[in-house]
Amino acid sequence: MSFLVEQLLNALALAGLLFLVSAGLSLVFGILRVVNFAHGVFYMLGAYLGFTAMAVSGQFWLSLLVVPPVVGVIGGLLERSTLRFIYRRPPIYQLLLTFGLALILEETVRVLYGPTAKPVDAPALLQGAVPILDTLYPRYRLFLVVAVGVGVRLFLARTRAGLVIRAVAQNSEMADCLGANVPRVRTLVFGAACALAGLGGVASAPMTTAYLGMGIGVIVDAFVVVVIGGLGSIGGSMAGSLIVGAAQTWGAFYLPETAMVIMYAVMGAILIFRPWGLFGEEE
Amino acid sequence: MTPRRARVLGLVTIAVLAVLPWVLARHQLSILVDLLIFGLFAMSLDLIMGYTGMVSFGHAAYFGLGAYGSALLLIHFQPPVPVALLAGALLAGAVAVPVGWFSTRATGIYFAMLTLAFAQLLYTVAYKWRDLTGGSDGIAGVPKTTLFWGGPSLADPHAFYWLVAACLVVSLRACRALTRSPFGRALEAIRENERRFVSLGRDARPFKVVVFVIAALFAGLAGALFAPFRGFASPEVMFWVLSGQALMMVITGGIGTLVGPVIGAMVFLLIQEVLSSYTEHWMIFTGAIFVLMVIFLPGGLVGTARRWMEARG
Amino acid sequence: MKRREFLKSAVVSGGASLTVPAFLRRAYAQNAIKIGMPTVLSGGNAQYGIQAKRAAELFAKDVKARGGVLGRPVEFLYEDTASDPATAVRKAQKLVEKDGVKLLTGVVLSSEALAISAKCPEWKVLFMSTINGAGALTAKSFNRNFFRINTSGPMGARAVSLYLAEAPMKRFFALGSDYAWGRDSVGSFSKQIAAVKKHVVGKEFPPVGTKDFASYIAKIKQSKAEGCFLVLPGQDATIFLKQAHQFGLTREVKPIMEILELENMKAVGDAMAGTIGSSRYPFTVDTPRNRDFVTRFHALHNVYPDMFDGETYEGLEWLTQVIRKAGTADDIEKITEAWEDSTYEGLEGTFTMRKCDHQAVQPGFVVEAVKDPKYPHLIPKILATYPGDRVTPKCRTEEFA
Repeated sequence: MSFLVEQLLNALALAGLLFLVSAGLSLVFGILRVVNFAHGVFYMLGAYLGFTAMAVSGQFWLSLLVVPPVVGVIGGLLERSTLRFIYRRPPIYQLLLTFGLALILEETVRVLYGPTAKPVDAPALLQGAVPILDTLYPRYRLFLVVAVGVGVRLFLARTRAGLVIRAVAQNSEMADCLGANVPRVRTLVFGAACALAGLGGVASAPMTTAYLGMGIGVIVDAFVVVVIGGLGSIGGSMAGSLIVGAAQTWGAFYLPETAMVIMYAVMGAILIFRPWGLFGEEE
Repeated sequence: MTPRRARVLGLVTIAVLAVLPWVLARHQLSILVDLLIFGLFAMSLDLIMGYTGMVSFGHAAYFGLGAYGSALLLIHFQPPVPVALLAGALLAGAVAVPVGWFSTRATGIYFAMLTLAFAQLLYTVAYKWRDLTGGSDGIAGVPKTTLFWGGPSLADPHAFYWLVAACLVVSLRACRALTRSPFGRALEAIRENERRFVSLGRDARPFKVVVFVIAALFAGLAGALFAPFRGFASPEVMFWVLSGQALMMVITGGIGTLVGPVIGAMVFLLIQEVLSSYTEHWMIFTGAIFVLMVIFLPGGLVGTARRWMEARG
Repeated sequence: MKRREFLKSAVVSGGASLTVPAFLRRAYAQNAIKIGMPTVLSGGNAQYGIQAKRAAELFAKDVKARGGVLGRPVEFLYEDTASDPATAVRKAQKLVEKDGVKLLTGVVLSSEALAISAKCPEWKVLFMSTINGAGALTAKSFNRNFFRINTSGPMGARAVSLYLAEAPMKRFFALGSDYAWGRDSVGSFSKQIAAVKKHVVGKEFPPVGTKDFASYIAKIKQSKAEGCFLVLPGQDATIFLKQAHQFGLTREVKPIMEILELENMKAVGDAMAGTIGSSRYPFTVDTPRNRDFVTRFHALHNVYPDMFDGETYEGLEWLTQVIRKAGTADDIEKITEAWEDSTYEGLEGTFTMRKCDHQAVQPGFVVEAVKDPKYPHLIPKILATYPGDRVTPKCRTEEFA
């Protein structure tokens, strides 16, 4: 019994992190029609900046608060200086451009931080493990599950921004109808998505350390999540995160030989039966 | 460009390819062979991307199948290289039949992700079937055998270059002929307006599956050339990173031009080759070049060049 | 030299730390002995390429101070393989065909090494491994142009097994990354543990790049093992150890690593204290030669040498000793003959190059990560040293006597 609870929590913690990344990816696609290959790099940037913020201030909570907006601003600036010129082209061009951005950012981080992974400690309050039934479970993971769950719920249900995002993500034409200043909306949305990825990065660092290649790793997972859920659908991203989180966690446990491929197998199976994802609409 | 001009340009290219081995130093010839092989690979992807509008994110799988097919055959039975080429291409084509059939159910990004999923599945097979494929270590020591039984050896750098150049030129001509055939025109009709095509009472999917398989055959051929040339095959040649790079090569050169992706592949690889010998931070510069290229060269190198020539008459 | 340094500093101050372009390097030394290093300098595995490069830089400085080898300067040519075997072969071929390199080293991944090694007879060059662990390189895939200076994967697993045969622990779990190194080492470990009548109670093979080990940690907990044998590459090991600590696993189960690296100790931090494992070169070896090396290494790079720093330096030193003995740096047949059955006094002890499979016989170490106030991070404390003949497999096999 306690074992099942532990496995459930593991899946939820992973899903929470995946959701923070994939929600932004989905948002950017839903509103800007851009497949942002650089999205994962913003996640990595969040983790590394989190390391720096921790090194400077020693405050985990402060870095959790400060880093996402910084990542968002960097994202917004990059959108302004590159992407905005090519919105009219077919999506494949934006993919190439963001791939270029990903290369630049990835290597810049390495120049600045070196190749060794950077440790980030959870705040004292969240270190160690707590007994759940008859097993020990890391406090930090528990925090992730609760915080992401509550945060998402509050944000989507209560705030106006949440309402707008939900509306806009469900209907991409809304972005155009917002009328007055489409370029600005685009920059804001792109920046917000990057900030979300940055938040995911800071939050994941105590679990995985900040390391090179974490962005590439997560972007593939996030693509799968978004495609399973249906592009542009926030609800879909949530469902996709849960499915991928569960597939990876339980797959590794019950079907260890399939761990490398289970995520793709699940995606393939879903797409064969629902070619536009669970919550997506036929284009 | 007028047909006459195109023909002249084609002949000039063939002449240049024929002369190059005597002009280039040995290592330059090695790099050129690499460029031609990946050029062939990028061209095969353009057949799907440029002429049907479907973006495959799993094309490396067929390159890899070709590489493993020819590597295994050459290492265990030492047949002449062309036999291995045929086997590699056919293996890739055969696997592409079911994958194409399933993947073409979806369109757009979903098609891309389905092809990715299948490619990762095949990658995992290559990675985990250690008895056959050597797993992550791959298969090393693939020999360059002969041109035919008892025929001349291909171990000579020039000889292998001729083989690769011939494969590329023939494939390019074959693909060009294909795109100009009634079949090719049907593909373009699907790309431009699939609904209208369907409303004329025709089914688009068989066309898509067939072109997917043909593209896989050519990708397999490129892979089958790669294995004896580099002497090995490893799971990296099936990994999604290579699929992504193939996309970059096609866009760099120019979608839907066939010859563009060949040039795109060459430019893409040369940029990395040159930059990475100057600086270990070559990724920054490569990235910047992509960004600038996308913004300032819509239509890729060949597309931009064509527009420029048309503007000048 | 002046110009080179000037150029370098100018470029560095220009913002990007570019290495000196190849054409300038060639202009700098006409007559130099060229050593090609197709190594990983970008991406996640760059930490290993950087180690090889650091060792080469110190070595180049030392050789220069001694007036070169056979009166010729030694020059290193670096190429980035980006962890891709195809690129590695291309870069190696370029070094051979364009730069006229006869000696290759610094290759990082086993897949790269196997691909390059297979080509060396055709290229007529020597390949000296100082990093590659794959047992096959000196067994199934052996060729005469390949020499392995470093402790191989099976040798590391052997040292650990010898140690555990005498330790009180009886039940082990084995966790190896799902690729050749992980699978082979876990296989080798299981066999040897069974031979001393102890038990491997579970085995798992997480994919390379796994970022959440929670499921594996749960399995290890369930198995009631006393020790967990880990064969994970750098980053994966860091993440696993971090998470194992958070789950409280490391209090119940002793982590035992096939290779215990400084890189991991720096990234995981104090949570890794108490972890044991084999080391191919622990910088804490207490000999005058090694103390001197560590001091000079630290003076140049401002870090302590990790495993591949030490082994690459030893390889280069041995290589030049052999070149002197052979009296040539170009005739690879003469170098091969001079190398076979030769011995070398390395930093960590005596090395002998076995003629039959070109594996360097050398001592095996088992170390523990411990805290020491003198150092900014955990350091490897040597628990046991095994003589070369006990840790080296039988000729051209991965089996032990």
